[in-house]
Amino acid sequence: MPAEEKSKMEEVKGTTISRRQFFKEAGAISAAVAAAAASSVIAPEEAEAKTTFAEFFQNNYRLMTDEEKKEAIARLEKRYSEEFAKKVTVDGAPAMQDVLFGYALNIQKCIGCRRCVHACVKENNQSRHDTEIQWIRVLRMEKGNFTVEDMDKGYPNSPNESFGIQVGGNAYKNAGVALEGQHYYQPERVPEKDAFYFPVQCMQCEKPPCVKVCPVRTTYRDPDGIVVIDYNWCIGCRMCMGACPYWARRFDWGDPHLPAEEMNPKTHYLGNRPRMRGVVEKCTFCLQRTRKGRYTACVEVCPVGARTFGNLLDPASEVRKILDRKKVFRLKADMNTYPKFFYFID
Amino acid sequence: MKIGSIAKVIFSAAATGALILGVGKFRTEAQQEQPARPAVAAPVTDCFESREGYTARSRVENVVPEYGYPNIICSQTTGGVLWWGDPYDETIPIGDMPDIDDVTKGDYLTEDAVIKPREPQLTYFNMDPDKHCVMCHDGMTVPFPKDKKPRLITMHQDIVEDSMELMHGEGAIWCLDCHNATNRNTLIDHRGKEISFNQPQKLCGKCHGVEYRHWRMGIHGKRIGSWNAGGKKRWWLCTECHNPHTVQINRFRPLKPEPAPVLPKGMKNAAHESVHAPSAGGHGEATPAATH
Ligand code: SF4
Ligand code: SF4
Repeated sequence: MPAEEKSKMEEVKGTTISRRQFFKEAGAISAAVAAAAASSVIAPEEAEAKTTFAEFFQNNYRLMTDEEKKEAIARLEKRYSEEFAKKVTVDGAPAMQDVLFGYALNIQKCIGCRRCVHACVKENNQSRHDTEIQWIRVLRMEKGNFTVEDMDKGYPNSPNESFGIQVGGNAYKNAGVALEGQHYYQPERVPEKDAFYFPVQCMQCEKPPCVKVCPVRTTYRDPDGIVVIDYNWCIGCRMCMGACPYWARRFDWGDPHLPAEEMNPKTHYLGNRPRMRGVVEKCTFCLQRTRKGRYTACVEVCPVGARTFGNLLDPASEVRKILDRKKVFRLKADMNTYPKFFYFID
Repeated sequence: MKIGSIAKVIFSAAATGALILGVGKFRTEAQQEQPARPAVAAPVTDCFESREGYTARSRVENVVPEYGYPNIICSQTTGGVLWWGDPYDETIPIGDMPDIDDVTKGDYLTEDAVIKPREPQLTYFNMDPDKHCVMCHDGMTVPFPKDKKPRLITMHQDIVEDSMELMHGEGAIWCLDCHNATNRNTLIDHRGKEISFNQPQKLCGKCHGVEYRHWRMGIHGKRIGSWNAGGKKRWWLCTECHNPHTVQINRFRPLKPEPAPVLPKGMKNAAHESVHAPSAGGHGEATPAATH
């Protein structure tokens, strides 16, 4: 370790205290301190001891100077490297110039194998169990059908049948009462004959309602269109989860369980760095990869090539060609959120 | 020097051991493992990419050293590849590809498009007919078939395990429409042009023009690597996703899915969502639990 960095580390180390101590020693808590501490109010016990004084007081990432960002990143790299017993890097790469990320998914192709879900877990250091956190959810939808005999049945609005929105089926033949598709399907093999599959994750909305409601403005839209979260400033109020029409955000009430040997040490400050307890997280289009030119983990793992990713501002990109040539729709377009995640069929 | 070589031995021993475990864990495990392999189910170390039983991948140790773990991660439940370290590992340039038309010349420069070659994976590639075929064929080289009339091949199910399911082109096409009767190491198109097993797209594209075009443009099929237009990518070839022998039965052969998410706390089962209502009013009866 370079001497300069080391001295900085020691300076940080010297001030490592537990939160309880912190409150005691701080005595009268000013409003400013309270606000800063609030960001880690429910940090997990183990991490608590390791969280530094400086980390308590760091600014909202967006308001930090470059110098402060560098320091914050160095602090994290040190803490994570100790915690996971290997060299962990925390990247702070900003958005690329002239890039607006977009995603396209072919629902006609998706076979519902859930490989994207688990690739994402591995890439993005999600909690493996208790609570199990997964950013992508694949929904199973039943195919509806329509026969001449159904013609006279009318719209299902009799006392027997009025249960709201239908998924699968159609106005004449409803497939079930599952309002949001089936989450826990587990057949021997996929795809099944009478179903299609609908993966859902953060749509990186151009007008993100989650950003509008965040009281501490810790979630915001970066210039490349990715909606990011500075976990250190998240107070865990979960307003964004309520505001998101796509059920894209996750929250861990307990301590995240991330085995050190499975931890992906290439992280980004706004992306897949290990989270603390009690903060909200979600898909970031793998910005630790994509800001370096690499496809997202879910694109790479999809066995049928249902997933495509690229720059919406580049007419030669794969997503743009799909928008030009295929039948494209966006989920809940009526919500006025302008998602940058497109579904399409051939 | 000595320590280095010991480390190397341990490391190569670890290479046959657990898959997803980190390097730190490998060392201790490898040391214990040396006398006898543990009786527990061996972790999956070889896995498939898209088609089960087609493109097998072995774990490649530390191709991307920063990660500190293998180049690919295999699913322990299904044996599918779950994560790629180096996307270009074991690839070669895609080779020459003719322009499609004036508007779309395909996507990328040849040297930026790479593929995983098929030939090295073929068990029966480059076999000497006089040496190998005769071993079973009674010391005689089998004569080439006289005509191309489709028929089911009952023999050789050991080699072509789906030979009895063969179905492509509504039964109008059979082995020798794609396989070369006089050179088993190549494919052949309808004009008699030999095509390498590494470039099946040149054969498939002869009939499936739209798919071929879209694949060249990057809006059909799969690519990994760099997302930017013109960046280096590994292209998946037709046969890496589709089984040309049975594609008509299954576009993709069904796979075992990865495990479902755990149920939320307090939820006993997922019966609430597997309600079927084939006829009017059926949805209430199907869930006894849902009587309010
Ligand atoms: S999908 Fe939800 S979390 Fe993602 S940007 Fe839109 S509102 Fe926010
Ligand atoms: S990996 Fe691809 S096919 Fe499998 S569930 Fe995800 S999108 Fe669908």
